[in-house]
Amino acid sequence: MDPKLTEVSQVFDRFKAAFVRKDFDTCSQLLSQLKVSLTGFKSLPPLFENTPNAIHELTLARDVYEHAVVLSVKIEDQDAFERDFFQLKPYYTDARGRLSPSPQEYPILGLNLLRLLVQNRIAEFHTELELLSPSALENPCIRHAIELEQSFMEGAYNRVLSARQTVPHETYVYFMDLLAKTVRDEIAGCSEKAYDSLSINDARQMLLFSSDQELLEYIREDHPEWEIKNSLVIFQRAKESAPCKEIPSLQLINQTLSYARELERIV
Amino acid sequence: MTQDVEMNDQPAPSNSVTSTGPSTLQHVKEIASLIETGAYAREVRRIVRAVRLTIALRKKLKASVISAFLTYTLTPGSDAHTRLSSYIPKDDELDMEVDTATSATQTPPAKHSLPELEIYSYLLVLIFLIDQKRYNEAKACASAGIARLKSLNRRTLDVLTSRLYFYYSLSYELTGDLAEIRGNLLALHRLATLRHDELGQETLLNLLLRNYLHYNLYDQAEKLRSKAPRFEAHSNQQFCRYLFYLGKIRTIQLEYTDAKESLLQAARKAPIAALGFRVQCTKWAVIVRLLLGEIPERTVFMQKGMEKALRPYFELTNAVRIGDLELFRKVAEKFSSTFSSDRTNNLIVRLRHNVIRTGLRNISISYSRISLADVAKKLQLDSANPVADAESIVAKAIRDGAIDATLDHANGWMVSKETGDIYSTNEPQIAFNSRIAFCLNMHNDAVRALRYPPNSHKEKESAEKRRERQQQEQELAKHIAEEDDDEF
Repeated sequence: MDPKLTEVSQVFDRFKAAFVRKDFDTCSQLLSQLKVSLTGFKSLPPLFENTPNAIHELTLARDVYEHAVVLSVKIEDQDAFERDFFQLKPYYTDARGRLSPSPQEYPILGLNLLRLLVQNRIAEFHTELELLSPSALENPCIRHAIELEQSFMEGAYNRVLSARQTVPHETYVYFMDLLAKTVRDEIAGCSEKAYDSLSINDARQMLLFSSDQELLEYIREDHPEWEIKNSLVIFQRAKESAPCKEIPSLQLINQTLSYARELERIV
Repeated sequence: MTQDVEMNDQPAPSNSVTSTGPSTLQHVKEIASLIETGAYAREVRRIVRAVRLTIALRKKLKASVISAFLTYTLTPGSDAHTRLSSYIPKDDELDMEVDTATSATQTPPAKHSLPELEIYSYLLVLIFLIDQKRYNEAKACASAGIARLKSLNRRTLDVLTSRLYFYYSLSYELTGDLAEIRGNLLALHRLATLRHDELGQETLLNLLLRNYLHYNLYDQAEKLRSKAPRFEAHSNQQFCRYLFYLGKIRTIQLEYTDAKESLLQAARKAPIAALGFRVQCTKWAVIVRLLLGEIPERTVFMQKGMEKALRPYFELTNAVRIGDLELFRKVAEKFSSTFSSDRTNNLIVRLRHNVIRTGLRNISISYSRISLADVAKKLQLDSANPVADAESIVAKAIRDGAIDATLDHANGWMVSKETGDIYSTNEPQIAFNSRIAFCLNMHNDAVRALRYPPNSHKEKESAEKRRERQQQEQELAKHIAEEDDDEF
């Protein structure tokens, strides 16, 4: 075996050991070391040269990036997740014909979908979705993300929250927690428009707080315009489009003049 | 994906097929001379016409005709000639005799070494090979033609090369190896940009978009599209395609309003003959309109020749219009194979949300006050906690402005608001203004789009005079050249 490859494998083994120990600092260090040494292999994207060890190297590299993605979730770094995922993606798309499918593929793809959902990047969510084959869409990890998006779009927020109990993979919990925050903001936004007022008790339940204290804190920080009176939360409603009293004369004059000008041009 | 629609207005040649041999050859030769004059006079229009005539001849092309034509235009023994002839199968001897006879009667032609004719020969052979379903030879031939093209840089070639690019990509698509040529197409696009070959850029951009979309790579397609230079369309066909691809990309990225505009425009601009293309455009446009919450009119589905293809979409529209989730599910299931072959499955999943909205709107219009439990029942929400679901769905609909109502949490009611008198607001005036603006714009665009034949005033000078003028010009040029020489 190629000495360089052996060396990388050894480092990777140390990385995995540290990963099991949950020693994430060592992991991050080893990971950057690994990434640097991976750049030495010519068989990896973007070159994809057909070296004798190509398959082995590709598999190893894919493994490294898969771990990197999971690691970024564990250390709760979304930017690192995005970077690592994009580095991993060519192994799933362009090298698909040459490598045997990875068992981690669908969980990671699902994780990425979830991330896009949390960051409210719905357009990219759908773009990613188009890349998946019908069989992939049936996979529980992917299914989970798709159903979440649907409930989210419909507004069935309690379905989103109850989905936390049925996560297909332990790494999903981090994003589900983030999603819960997004959902709370959404609910707050909707309630503001839909209700005239709510009792503090109902509002607390609806916004998923465990105590009134937390609710009041939240209102103070995020929605100072809400009023609290007689244990009621009163939403200040935006003024409706009242019947027009004033005629926007200047605008009308401008429009009429432009009609006249255009008509003159036609005749 | 779209069937590859030939968007050339073919006047389907219906005259007798018996006279193929010599007369087809004669036709092809006429086309060649058309190209020749076009190339000398630098009139791209003539070459465009030549390509159009070729497509009309397409069905009549035979191996014998082509090999005779090759001998006619290219020097036998030259590189191009040997290469191209090797692709042509040698059969039907009967026709061969006729051909030798005709070519014998020709005065041994002063061999044209025009690059236009050479590329045209490549194009002709390529079209022939594709029609004969010899895709592997077609691929080889196209690649050889493209390699030759790289060393040529003439604006009169643009029309021919853009067709060659198109068939190059088509031959790879037919064998399912589109991914292979992506790099080449990108390189060609760069080359075309450097040479200011706008038609080539347009064609190649479309081919690239098609290439990406074939593999659902919407991200890459959009990145390329937004960065590639755009200019006024040179070819209506290419512009239609571009609009269609653009519409698809925008649909996937949830920009429905823009997507609808592009798709409808593509469907309208497409020539009548391109039925398959128009059907595809209409399918996508229907879905986008549904996603926007509009209900397409019945006439959309009743267009001539499209009724059958649009049937699944018609039933889908019906389900959305009624706002019946159960019916919607049934339709989606019933036609799932159609939808997945159209690759609209994921879009239809998105529609579910619109079905609920429409249902909700109907409820809000019919009842001034209704309990949330009834709302849940009417919407057929089957979940663990339908009332809470209904409440949050209604709340979101209110926020998004789909319905005008308020919720009463304590009593579990939804109270619809009276719709005010719209004529007491500025709304009608704004709507009226936008319509006037649209009409005026349309008029201005129409005026701007009027075209006059180039140099129509000069056309009046007789052919003789022109020749005289050209001679003078040439002499002048010679003088200048001589003077230049004298100086050194």
